[in-house]
Amino acid sequence: MNLTLSEQDLLREKTEYTGVHPQKFALWIAMASMSMFFAALTSALLVKKGDYRSWEGFRLPMVFLFSTVAVIGVSVCIHAALISYRKAKFVQFRWLMFFSFLLGCLFLALQLKGWGVMKQGGMTITENLSGSFIYVITAAHGVHIIAGLVVMLVFIVHAFRNRKDPIYELRDIINPKRQLNLELLVSYWHYVDAVWVYLYVFLYLNYR
Amino acid sequence: METATAHVTHHDHVHGHEEHHHEEETFLTKYVFSQDHKMISKQFVITGIFWGIVGGLLSILFRLQLGWPNETFPFLETFLGKWAEGGKISQEFYYALVTMHGTILVFFVLTGGLSGTFANLLIPYQVGVRDMASPFINMLSYWFFLSAGIVMFFSFFIQTGPASGGWTAYPPINGLRDTAVNLGSGLGFDLWILGMTLFIVSSLLGGLNYIATILNMRTKGMSMFRMPLTIWAILFTAVIGVLSFPALLAGCVLLEFDRLLDTSFYLNNIIINGNLLGYKGGSPILFQHLFWFLGHPEVYIIILPAMGLVSEVLATQSRKPIFGYKAMVFSILAILVLSFIVWAHHMFVTGLNPNLGAVFTFFTLLIAIPSAIKVFNWIGTIWKGKVRLVTPALFAIGFVSMFITGGLTGIILGNSAIDIQLHDTMFVVAHFHIVMGVSAFFGMFAGVYHWFPRLYGRYMNETLGQIHFYITLLGAYAIFFPMHFMTGLPRRYYTYANFETFNNFNFLAEFISIAAIIVFLGQLLFVINFFYSIFKGRKVLAEKTVDGYDYANPWGTTTLEWSAPIERLHGNWPGDIPTVHRWPYDYSVNGREYIPQTEPLKPGEVSHD
Repeated sequence: MNLTLSEQDLLREKTEYTGVHPQKFALWIAMASMSMFFAALTSALLVKKGDYRSWEGFRLPMVFLFSTVAVIGVSVCIHAALISYRKAKFVQFRWLMFFSFLLGCLFLALQLKGWGVMKQGGMTITENLSGSFIYVITAAHGVHIIAGLVVMLVFIVHAFRNRKDPIYELRDIINPKRQLNLELLVSYWHYVDAVWVYLYVFLYLNYR
Repeated sequence: METATAHVTHHDHVHGHEEHHHEEETFLTKYVFSQDHKMISKQFVITGIFWGIVGGLLSILFRLQLGWPNETFPFLETFLGKWAEGGKISQEFYYALVTMHGTILVFFVLTGGLSGTFANLLIPYQVGVRDMASPFINMLSYWFFLSAGIVMFFSFFIQTGPASGGWTAYPPINGLRDTAVNLGSGLGFDLWILGMTLFIVSSLLGGLNYIATILNMRTKGMSMFRMPLTIWAILFTAVIGVLSFPALLAGCVLLEFDRLLDTSFYLNNIIINGNLLGYKGGSPILFQHLFWFLGHPEVYIIILPAMGLVSEVLATQSRKPIFGYKAMVFSILAILVLSFIVWAHHMFVTGLNPNLGAVFTFFTLLIAIPSAIKVFNWIGTIWKGKVRLVTPALFAIGFVSMFITGGLTGIILGNSAIDIQLHDTMFVVAHFHIVMGVSAFFGMFAGVYHWFPRLYGRYMNETLGQIHFYITLLGAYAIFFPMHFMTGLPRRYYTYANFETFNNFNFLAEFISIAAIIVFLGQLLFVINFFYSIFKGRKVLAEKTVDGYDYANPWGTTTLEWSAPIERLHGNWPGDIPTVHRWPYDYSVNGREYIPQTEPLKPGEVSHD
């Protein structure tokens, strides 16, 4: 394997103190950071809802419930993909990754549909603060989903390009760096999915 | 038998390393897209110096206006063109100068430059690891920092000029893109937001790397309580950054929505030239909450690394163990916790509920306790020590002096009732410049002079360094001490000509301006010294040579950074990473001047931790 010096050391010393690979640990810290971002947005919503007298209440469009189902589907699918990767079932792995990607796109499409429904009901982005917040929060979350989709696509392209070369695939599975990267991606997706579930429940409770 | 095997593996390792050394490093990977923590550290420090010069120069320009409001300086028109027609800085440009001075020094120099430089240099060296948890993300962190800087710098060269609504970016003035309202609120402020977003990304990528590396990858024997205080400070700084910067990002996202898509998060019933704009229901105070939720922890992001560097420099240069090591650690921890629950003390005059103000006053004043503990411990450390009054030690002592001076006025300002009188006056300017601006600079200078040999294998010039120190110390007091006595003088004003009562401060204003110019020129000594010493400085001489590598320990430090060879190696140690056996402050014990952390305990010797 063509590893650099520091990568060799990473592999050797990875679990000495916390039992977690440092890069995975770094991802957890990034999750804490992203949580603060969404916490700031949702608390801003609570503050404005509390102090703005002309806050226009409306029901959260049903579409967002469907997108919640889609995003949970991504989590299930990509986790199944990870398990099949570990068992070296590459055909299954490829298709599960592909389905995860489709579900992720479906989620984004449903979010856009949600915006459309709001717009049709007269709630444009500038109409009232109550609507503006939903646009901003879903957009900010959508950016995180898009980032996840881009990385997922890199994995899918890699997996499909090498499908005719079993030796390459086997080399993949014994390459701990590659498995680690996949685990990082799966964790990231579980996280952004969980954030959406939180946001959905939060918005549902505040818009009914 | 065992030793023989060990020797063979050791040899292999060295050999393997040599191969990498030649194989991998091209000019681009070594100097530009480097993933080596030491090179990234150098990139940060040099970028930081560039920004320091720019930020300082901006302050000189507006000091010209403040010191001599009735004079004209024709050379300004030559350089600044329409921003200084007739040799007088225009009002719009004056506000741009103040805004960018604050932004650049707070974020680009004292956050990016300070944390970026020393976290990258010291974490791997002092905790004993070959590189960061993710060297690639570490490289990204620098490149985001650099691109943030390029965007900010670019904004000086556009038609409407850079952001000019204050470094705090408050709406409503910054919430409107109308340049008729404020010239800098046009494209200049969009670039400010873009630059800050890139900067926040850089800061987060750096921070999560620092934390992951410190908590996971320390060398064998390096328990948490054997880490030098520099590492503790950097760790807590990174934690603060990772948790507070996202709030600013959220605030900026909402602000940009207001500006570009006409939402009303921060704007309400705005009237421009008699026309009522369509914004309804927003509150500028909401932005202040989001801003200061970062903004206050930000001052600890700036000062904690400086405190860490100073602790290390003072212990090393006075040849004494740090006084109250654990008290230091828990003080930083207390500051970390408190930093998140005091942000509204910047907002006492916003109509904040006075009862809430009392709560924030209480927590704010509590910060005096850990701060005082730290000051006491620094003084305790140098007390009766054999202090070597070299430049880094002088700057570290200067830091303590500055921190006390600025800290005392913090206790005054922290009271909500008194703050109503002092808010937005020069008293506040004096306070925060001394306590976090100048102090942090002193900490940074102490660090640069102290670890320059580690960075470049050469020393900085001592004489120039001492001149630099005395100019900076006396000059900084000359600039900021008189500001305490400019009673009631509001900050950020272009001119006070319409207020007769302030006429008696004209002399002080002129005095401050002269002092500022001298101090700025004094800093150029540092810049010259820095770049001259990279190439021509006195070399660190080898004290011993093992396996073809030269080793030295110029300051006689106990920590791990000098257990690596003088030469820059990707991977730091040619052989195995050293094992740690003791805490980092064994100075003047057991009849010896210092005992390195790598030295095993003697039979019967009790480990300090």
